[in-house]
Amino acid sequence: MSIIFDPSQIERNPALRFVAYGVIAMVLSVLHVVFLRFISVSSVTPDLLLILTVWISLVEGQFVGMFAGFVSGLLFDIVSADVLGSNALAKTAAAFIAGYFWKEGFAMETLGSTKFLIVTAICGFAHNLIYFFFYVKPMQISFPMFFLTYGVATTLYTTVAAIFPMLIINRKKDW
Amino acid sequence: MQRFIAFVVRYKNYITLFALMVMSLSFMSVGNLRQLGGFRAVIVGSVGWIQSLFAWIPNPVALKSENTALRELNLQLAIESARSRQALVENAALRRMLELPKYTDYKLIAADVSGKTTTQLRNYATINKGTADGVREGMTCITDAGLVGRIIGASEHFAVIQLLLNRDTRVASKVQRSRIDGIVWWEGETTVALKNVPKSFDVQVGDVILTSNYSSIFPANIVVGRVTKVEDENQSLFRRVMVEPAVDFSTLEQVFVIDYVPDAERLRLERETEQRMKQRSADS
Repeated sequence: MSIIFDPSQIERNPALRFVAYGVIAMVLSVLHVVFLRFISVSSVTPDLLLILTVWISLVEGQFVGMFAGFVSGLLFDIVSADVLGSNALAKTAAAFIAGYFWKEGFAMETLGSTKFLIVTAICGFAHNLIYFFFYVKPMQISFPMFFLTYGVATTLYTTVAAIFPMLIINRKKDW
Repeated sequence: MQRFIAFVVRYKNYITLFALMVMSLSFMSVGNLRQLGGFRAVIVGSVGWIQSLFAWIPNPVALKSENTALRELNLQLAIESARSRQALVENAALRRMLELPKYTDYKLIAADVSGKTTTQLRNYATINKGTADGVREGMTCITDAGLVGRIIGASEHFAVIQLLLNRDTRVASKVQRSRIDGIVWWEGETTVALKNVPKSFDVQVGDVILTSNYSSIFPANIVVGRVTKVEDENQSLFRRVMVEPAVDFSTLEQVFVIDYVPDAERLRLERETEQRMKQRSADS
């Protein structure tokens, strides 16, 4: 198996890396729509694609991260039957912010530390601010109240979910 | 040109951000195009199919909230159902009572029973009409079924009825079919008896008992009940006639007060005569 699938090859080859990102994004999109209802708390679920977007931005930089955010957001919009472009817009902006924390050659240090959680929380906050603004726009409800209820809760839940990839990277510590 | 390329390279992130945002907003505005909608329908359909494959897995959180919501809904529906049934019963009763004034020459005052005491030997009911509504002591209360009792006390907005099922109630009555007179007394529980009926008199099970014209308290020809049992008492000249009251006192909710008070002159004359007779027998 390790002969056919060598993880180090993906790390070295950018093209393979991007294909891997695409596959992961697709799997996460379906996972989000199909299985995340099992761990939803008052209809709030963690945004796995946002974690992936932040991850890519911290590994690849702002420019690539924005494309990753846009594509993964668009993918999620299609899969989840959400307003087309709403997740793409929010994730592009989140990736843009995450890109400011990119430091060439220190990606694993960032991902394996609490810095990853802080960046995820900041990006999640910005993401949900944009996403829920467009979400509540057609409705007769107060945006601040809705954001405080669902936006902040989703940000917190996403940050909690980001602990798992952080711990995985942290355990490796071979950077 | 070089300067332009240098500008683009320098600000590529901002330009990309701008371009992607414009694209996202464009998607948001044209997201409902038919072709795109058809494509999405295929994707959403596929995802829905995957979801249906895993639909058998229970979601404890969702089940709990659904259970709570269903319990609340069940409670609301039970309350609604009870209200509807109550309204139906009330509606039927009120419809019957609306017909009543057509069959009587007396003026009737409609009232709701606001309290009932049926656990003691003396049974009373309180109604929500009083002297302000024209209710006075001595008036008779009826329903569409028959005699309920008489008013023994009235305040401005309430009045107390001494029910037929009360040991102090005596009703001068007659058998509708054979016109035989007697006095109806409460026999305990929910039955009354027609007393003072000689053995030779014609009374049969099923006969209707009405208030008598001789009654100085109740107006004549109000249904009291129906004969359920006729027995010849041993060592007695009279028959034991059991009567089932026409009114169901356990479900009594609305009544009519007949605006009729016994003639004071008649009552005074009868009282004086009785006293005179007592005096005469005492003298002799």
